[in-house]
Amino acid sequence: MAATGSTSARSILPQIVLLTAILLFCVFPFYWMVTTSLKTQLVALSQPPQWIFTPTLGNYAEVLFEDGVGRTMVNSLIVAVSTTVLAVLLGCPAAYALARFEFRGKSDLWFWFITNRMVSPIVLALPFFLIVRWIGLLDTKLVLILIYLTFNLPIVIWLCTDQFRSIPYDLDEAAILEGAGHWRIFRSICLPLAMPAVAVSSIFSFIFSWNELLYAIVLTRNDAKTAPAMAISYMEGYSLPYGKIMATSTLIVIPVLIFALIASKQLVRGLTMGAVK
Amino acid sequence: MAGSAVSRRTLWGFIGPAILVLAAVGIVPLVYAVYTSLHYFNLTNLKDQEFIWFANYAHVLTDDTFWAAMGRTFILLVTALPIQIALGLMIALLLHRPGLTFLKTITRLGLVLPMATTYAVVGLLGQVMFNIKYGVVNQMLGWVGIAPIDWIGDPDNAFVLVIFWDVWQWTPFCALILLAGLTTVPDEIEEAARLETKSWWTVLRHIQLPYLVPGLVAIMILRTADTLKLFDMVFTLTRGGPGNATEFISLLIQRTGFRSFDQGVASAQAVVLLAITVVLSQIYIRIFYREGP
Amino acid sequence: MNIRLKSALALTTALTVVSPAVAQDQSGWSLAEAAEPYAGTTVDVVFLLRPGYEAAKEMIPAFEEETGIEINITDLPYENALGEQVRDFVAQGDLDVALIDLVWIGNFAQNDWIVPMAAIEEQFPDIIDPDLDLDDFFPLVLDAFGSWDGTVYGLPFDNYSGLLFYNSCMLEEAGFDGPPETWEAVMDDYGPALTKDGKYAYALQSKRNETQSADSFARMIWPFGGSFLDAEFRSNLSSEESLAGLNFRQELMQYMPEGIVAYDHAEAVNALAQGDVAFITEWSSFYSTLADPDTSRIGECLAIAPEPAGPAGRKPALGGFSLAVAEQADDDEKAAAWLFIQWITSKENARQYLDLGGVPARQSVYEEEGIAESFPFVPALVESWQEGVPEFRPRFAEWPEISEVVQQYGTQMMLGEITVEEGAERIGTEMEAILDKAGYYDGDKPLIQ
Repeated sequence: MAATGSTSARSILPQIVLLTAILLFCVFPFYWMVTTSLKTQLVALSQPPQWIFTPTLGNYAEVLFEDGVGRTMVNSLIVAVSTTVLAVLLGCPAAYALARFEFRGKSDLWFWFITNRMVSPIVLALPFFLIVRWIGLLDTKLVLILIYLTFNLPIVIWLCTDQFRSIPYDLDEAAILEGAGHWRIFRSICLPLAMPAVAVSSIFSFIFSWNELLYAIVLTRNDAKTAPAMAISYMEGYSLPYGKIMATSTLIVIPVLIFALIASKQLVRGLTMGAVK
Repeated sequence: MAGSAVSRRTLWGFIGPAILVLAAVGIVPLVYAVYTSLHYFNLTNLKDQEFIWFANYAHVLTDDTFWAAMGRTFILLVTALPIQIALGLMIALLLHRPGLTFLKTITRLGLVLPMATTYAVVGLLGQVMFNIKYGVVNQMLGWVGIAPIDWIGDPDNAFVLVIFWDVWQWTPFCALILLAGLTTVPDEIEEAARLETKSWWTVLRHIQLPYLVPGLVAIMILRTADTLKLFDMVFTLTRGGPGNATEFISLLIQRTGFRSFDQGVASAQAVVLLAITVVLSQIYIRIFYREGP
Repeated sequence: MNIRLKSALALTTALTVVSPAVAQDQSGWSLAEAAEPYAGTTVDVVFLLRPGYEAAKEMIPAFEEETGIEINITDLPYENALGEQVRDFVAQGDLDVALIDLVWIGNFAQNDWIVPMAAIEEQFPDIIDPDLDLDDFFPLVLDAFGSWDGTVYGLPFDNYSGLLFYNSCMLEEAGFDGPPETWEAVMDDYGPALTKDGKYAYALQSKRNETQSADSFARMIWPFGGSFLDAEFRSNLSSEESLAGLNFRQELMQYMPEGIVAYDHAEAVNALAQGDVAFITEWSSFYSTLADPDTSRIGECLAIAPEPAGPAGRKPALGGFSLAVAEQADDDEKAAAWLFIQWITSKENARQYLDLGGVPARQSVYEEEGIAESFPFVPALVESWQEGVPEFRPRFAEWPEISEVVQQYGTQMMLGEITVEEGAERIGTEMEAILDKAGYYDGDKPLIQ
């Protein structure tokens, strides 16, 4: 974009101050989380808080090698990736149908899909528990993968429907004239054009699933325990191992942050995909 | 936009799997919840399970605790959301101004951090940073001469704290959406407007706002839904306390169903919440977001 | 195992690490033989993240080695442990051992989720250790933690009594030569004298969870002669005595740090450990945290006494966990589970458990020579367990629900959002509604707490 207007020092300085303030505001909690994770218990609980101290990796050693946080992170990863893939596989064709086909009850159906995103997990958690127990799948990753579809599928459908609708219909018509079926049009013409929406909704699905807590604590115990559920388990009112809690938190947050930063371009572009055409 | 009529088979081929799966994971448990909501259904007393018609609903609808939690949830929504939108808009406008490209790129990346942070971790972080004694926030307030504040132990402060973290986590989200909206304003229109007036407000009102509306609607829909669902951050920060100060609706339902084990009442609460959610989504989606298929 | 325990125990462990594994008494019973048919069985159990469980984890490999039974542990925070187990039992899940806080026992027993010890004895006569010696448990503890309606279900495993931990240096400086004997003295003398210069006399953990109802609310009503229920199971909270206790708590808050309603155990213990308050009333098991230089700054100043007495006498807080066999386990699992419970709570292992940071409920271990020197909390603990109120908190199935009510209004009361009288009234009304719904008032259920 071309620089417009005056960019004198007078107008630049406040901008620099403001931008730096915003940046610090966003980043400072992370700084504090990471430094606390490098403190011993006595340092973490000292008053006033210490900014300069001898860092230790003891908390990380403990949570990784004694408490098995690593294993829960692998669980989180498997669950988040699988549910995202599944949401895309199921959601894209559905979104295509909603965007391209005429059928009765279409807008109600679309509304129902989207509403699932709005439902509080607390509404479904216990019924899920009893049902899942009944079919014997408690404490398995499969259950989380399926249940996370309740919020991932709507996101995929929402964003992709809008994207498909923004693709000129002429392309389809030309293909139909050439004798292509709907599946071919979907696969070879529309889907490639809708990749931005697929990417964005995948990123969202992954982040939501990685961060999910409530279903994870209700439906898993040992084998399928996810990382956020693990972090909660240190919250015993009995002692407050701040260092360990923050070490676990750092381990949970870092991968998703790296992922989000790498994907931030798509993320920003896609945030408004539904809204801005 | 044209759509085509297709055979039932093709239609189902595209949309059937999604419907089936979502019905299995979304509707089946819901039916079960409705079933339990019509029963005396206490996990610690299942022997006395009994069909009691709408007694649980009668209880919920006349229960002060339920409406108080509902009220708190809406107070949170109407306080946090305007702050998020206002701050988000300011940040977006700032980032939209030309110049300082490098700093602005860094800031944009920084904005992604809060959004991606695990919600439960935000609450844990809040416990550490806002502790009355060893919290860094009170230390920093001390530097500018403010006496330590009891953030977590005082009902009003705890509520403010929840708002603070909600704002911290979701203002960047608003900023990024609105920024994307601003970039869709055609350059020549914006430049022409700036030649005519120096007032940024006029430009915002008359030129940029129309381009921001869709983003604002998306923000409102998502933030409303997420506020009604808000659980993780508060659960790890205050567990709804002190007293009832931060007991939002999802925490109340969790407490009723998972700690008092009264699944009948909890299901009724959940169904009422669901009804409210659906009505709100209807209003938002059908009125604001008219372009649904 | 965490480091602070290790250092605290280094002295004593060395003497006793020799596992009493190959124990075989005159009767010819041996663990290895009794366990033989059940080798290879896996026993699922819920543990908490507390010192007693860390201690048990250190000991378990020896048990597994000797019996071939595998112990599969799920660690949970206390606040989730009840919910997790209830859901598991309702759904006929795979837990084989129930971990029972004393307030859960009525709940578990009434729902037939746990097996009475007599039924185990009858079904598996060969696995009962002849040296089990139930009489060796403190009677109050066995009765409160392990029994319901006269039937023994569980054996006391992780045991607590409320104790007064105090900073003797602070007390001396203020001119006291000993800890407060009565709550009255706390209010009239110790409170005013010790609350100054940003320090406070006392911290009463009152966070809105079980801590509020057990540590804060119940702790104050009993010494003043109050109780939750009267003989007809009607609320006794609006009685003169109960209100006296609750008003006392309210008034005492002037000598407690700001934001006391956000204090859980960790905060209260840390306040004493950092020298910010002069005394706290806490569970015996916090001794290791308070004595360890890695987590406590008060060092030699730490001293321990029984809780102060009220007009109605000394009624220290009582809490703790027993282990019982879960009904849903299959036969092999039941037998294996019992062998484990019996072993971990046995007389023989009591000393090792104590050395590793646990608190056994075996009388015999506390009679050993020199035990009070190694474990300064022992005299106060033994005294507290001589007499007490098993129904300190009612132990019936409805307690968790009632506890939620107490937690809500109890904290609102402390915050001044409602008056003490109003709060007691509301808790009473809601408590009676819960009991009514459960059928206590129409004769459906015996009045046991």
